[in-house]
Amino acid sequence: MSVTATAIPAQKLADQPRPQRRRIRSSLAERIAPYAYVAPFFVIFAIFGLFPLLFTFYVALFDWNPIGEQTFVGFANFERLFADPRFWNAFVNTFGIFLISTIPQLLLALVLAHLLNHARLKWANFFRMSLLVPYITSVAATALVFGQIFDKNFGLLNWILEVFGLPSVNLLASQVGSWVVISAMVMWRWFGYNALLYLAGLQAIPREMYEAASVDGASGWQQFIHLTIPSLRPIIIFTVIMSTIGGLQIFTEPLLVAPETGLTCGAGRQCQTLSLFLYEQGFGQFEFGYGSAIGVALFVIVVVASLINFFLSTRTRGGR
Amino acid sequence: MLATPIAAIGALALALTGCSSGSSAADGDPNAEFEFWSFTGIGQQESVDRYLEKNPDAKVKLSEVGSTTETATALTAALAGGKVPDLVMIQNDDLPKFVENSGNFIDLRTLGGDDIGDDYLDWAIDAATGEDGSIIGIPTDVGGLSFAYRADLFEAAGLPSDPEEVVEMWSTWDGFIEMGKTYTEATGQPFVDNVETSVFFAAVNQVTEKYYSPDGELIFDSNPEVEEAFQVAVDTYEAGISAGIAAWSSGWAPGKANGAFAVTIAPSWILSGLKNDAPDTAGSWRIASIPGVGGNWGGSVIAIPARADNPEAAWQYIETMLSPEGQTEHFAETGTMPAAKGALESEDVLNYTDPFFGDSAIGTVMSESVLQFNSFYNGPDTSAIGGALLNALVDMEAGNVPPADAWTTGVDSANAAIGG
Amino acid sequence: MSAVIDQAIPESSATEAIVTPGKAPRRRGSGRVGRVRWPVYLLLILAVLISVFPLYYMFVIASVGATAVTSSPPRLYPGFDFFELAAKVFETVPFVQSLINSVIVSLSIAVIAAVLCAMAGFAFAKLQFPGRNALFLIVLLTMTVPAQLSVIPQYLIISWLDWVDTLQAIIVPGLASAFGIFWMRQHMATTVSDELIQAARIDGANSWQLFWGIAFPVVRPAAFVLGLITFTSVWNDFMWPFIVLKSPELFTVQIALKQLQANRTIDLALTMGGSFMATLPLLIVFFFVGRRMVAGIMDGAFKG
Repeated sequence: MSVTATAIPAQKLADQPRPQRRRIRSSLAERIAPYAYVAPFFVIFAIFGLFPLLFTFYVALFDWNPIGEQTFVGFANFERLFADPRFWNAFVNTFGIFLISTIPQLLLALVLAHLLNHARLKWANFFRMSLLVPYITSVAATALVFGQIFDKNFGLLNWILEVFGLPSVNLLASQVGSWVVISAMVMWRWFGYNALLYLAGLQAIPREMYEAASVDGASGWQQFIHLTIPSLRPIIIFTVIMSTIGGLQIFTEPLLVAPETGLTCGAGRQCQTLSLFLYEQGFGQFEFGYGSAIGVALFVIVVVASLINFFLSTRTRGGR
Repeated sequence: MLATPIAAIGALALALTGCSSGSSAADGDPNAEFEFWSFTGIGQQESVDRYLEKNPDAKVKLSEVGSTTETATALTAALAGGKVPDLVMIQNDDLPKFVENSGNFIDLRTLGGDDIGDDYLDWAIDAATGEDGSIIGIPTDVGGLSFAYRADLFEAAGLPSDPEEVVEMWSTWDGFIEMGKTYTEATGQPFVDNVETSVFFAAVNQVTEKYYSPDGELIFDSNPEVEEAFQVAVDTYEAGISAGIAAWSSGWAPGKANGAFAVTIAPSWILSGLKNDAPDTAGSWRIASIPGVGGNWGGSVIAIPARADNPEAAWQYIETMLSPEGQTEHFAETGTMPAAKGALESEDVLNYTDPFFGDSAIGTVMSESVLQFNSFYNGPDTSAIGGALLNALVDMEAGNVPPADAWTTGVDSANAAIGG
Repeated sequence: MSAVIDQAIPESSATEAIVTPGKAPRRRGSGRVGRVRWPVYLLLILAVLISVFPLYYMFVIASVGATAVTSSPPRLYPGFDFFELAAKVFETVPFVQSLINSVIVSLSIAVIAAVLCAMAGFAFAKLQFPGRNALFLIVLLTMTVPAQLSVIPQYLIISWLDWVDTLQAIIVPGLASAFGIFWMRQHMATTVSDELIQAARIDGANSWQLFWGIAFPVVRPAAFVLGLITFTSVWNDFMWPFIVLKSPELFTVQIALKQLQANRTIDLALTMGGSFMATLPLLIVFFFVGRRMVAGIMDGAFKG
């Protein structure tokens, strides 16, 4: 049931021989019990979690006006979707933002965890708790603040650049620039949270391992690559998958960072992600069938991306 | 040990059911409690309070929260098959899509007679009239359109600052661009905040036919009037007199306070925001008619969903508060421009001024602009097409699209938006 | 498939000390030895400043007014108008009532969801039954669909149940958290030892005693963290409560804050002030329980 990395000797109970599984006569109550535990959650889940999902798949096959006509069109929505340049634009935006916001963020979190991982760090708890403040700040307020910071005429960033004699920038106007702004917001929100997760993993690595490696002549960098990373592998996988699922669905930041352009996030849809495109079609244009088709496409994309990321992450190891 | 959490959850459940709202009274009773959804910024709380003063037996449950689009989203979800309100405010940008599906609303002629539309501006009633002639909403207010300009900055650039003289100088859009060039040459600063809302939007609403023909055919890409209006905006940009700051972008409020531009488009509902954003510039602004005078931005209607529980009560509210007299009173309290013709010509409206704007004849200017506004057919995709054209201009100002390509970019984008 | 899922799930050894008598408890706060050099503190302080800045900037805008953003250079230090602004917020919207509503809703969901997810997580992790993996996979898959698509179907259901404009319309849908199940199953699987369960079974314990007596106490820190995470996300949610709640006395704090924004006219100071005041309760909660939350996150300690 559990997976161990090779580098660390696992003193697990699982290593001990399992007792013979005796056939215990289970009563009817015992056989039903598992379902009883899962039932409360599942009843609610079936109604409020599963039904909307199935509803989406169903509506994707229709030309569905929520307050008007609803006609069955089969796969026409999907045909239109694949030919729609706005869909591919949103696709590129989503991945661009995802890559910029996830990779540097997780690396930053790793670095931060490394810094926090000192036995004699003073005010350790203060640092850790402060890193969670972005997590509790509401996205709406954050978007306003970041919008002000990055404003091309009066923003804080440009003011700082001016002080240093550098030219001012208008990040939100260009496509990649707008990705940077959104990614900054996402990174800011999550880097502390992920840093704490990594810190936990780092603290679980026994000191003796590092000492033994030093004695063997391994440099700090080699220790990092061959000891630290493999030990953190399970948690890296966890953060990568959660970041993938969340990152590909980014919605609120693009919605709020450029309010003057409405639902397109930039006059040229520079930062419109798939989720925002979906919302624009469903609620802006009343084309709920088309919006649902985008939802189905997003579903497939997220599943595929998660699987790919998962397999990529499991391939990093120091010999198995 | 188990009892405690169960008891707690049970107590919570009891408390929750106690929190649900009361049930609705019988249909048909004009004083039944009715549910009213409104967005903020339109003073409906004030209106409801006055209604209850006039009619103490009535009961209203007002939910005044959210923006116009958020309210439209909630209304959409409700109409899709859930519980609907009895009365709802719909802003004009969201209106065409609802009018296209007019069966979702009660034809108000059945409640108030066939001539209920006569009291209101023609174009406002037309916007709320379905294909079958049913009137699904009564116009509550209009935006009007004017330019707000900084008289002090004009003077510093050697331009006249008195509203009458200014209107004389910019009586045409070409005159406006010339004025802008003079200003920018003299001061080195941009004249107008942007070209999409301050120029294109104003100019395109002065056409006789806009994106649709009177029969409902899409003509936006072939209509020379639309293309001309677009060209005026491009010309303004190429004259180098625009600051390229989009309305409600992060730099817009500071721009108003800092003099980053001297002119901005001003429907009536923008004025309070301006005062809020630039308190230190009090007294330096003036309000004047735009080139061509006629114009409107915004406005809303009030409607009753077909499945409402208490249509009679809702209608009584409309009758009482949205008559010409009612709208005049509302204007006196909140400054919201009325949509009823009688109200627009009332003393209260025509004489309205504000010291923040140097006592310019705000009421007269706004009133004239809506009275001279043409009625043209607005189809269901009007917002999407307009948005695409506007975005093409914004992109041009950001440097992403060369001015020569802006029109084709806008048209292509509009076609993609409407699935054409 | 279960093996695939398990590979993704980090293990925990946090409570080995409890279930393995005689073994020395794992030392918390272990890490690198040696003196901590000052650049470390510098970088950490930088990280803290970055984390806290937007919240601070919100306070600045609230205490100075809109001129904080319109002046050039932008103003970075607070003024004295905050209390005046706070008073205005209290006057304009039913702030206290909305805080109470938010507390009721967020607390209910946090507590109930933590328990429900713990129960379901226990079943998925420790009990064998046909369809277990398939059900778990379905739950995971729903995490991939964005919430906007659920609005209309959920509203249809809520209307049909006649729950529109009630607090349970917010609470009940919020209980089905796919993330919660994922999180609790993982902790159950790796913290609660199979041997202990087996031993208890042999002694005649039924599943309820296994769950409540053995499993739940072990994962309590993780459940606590889940509760806090859920509390935070419900506290900050606007769209769904807005669509469903129409009586001002039921508004949650985010809806009440929206009333401060007249449509298209953003009084920046008022909005930021309100937002800041709405974040304060969360800060207070975090101040008191923050240590436990940090410990709980790290308690799902991940060992290879």
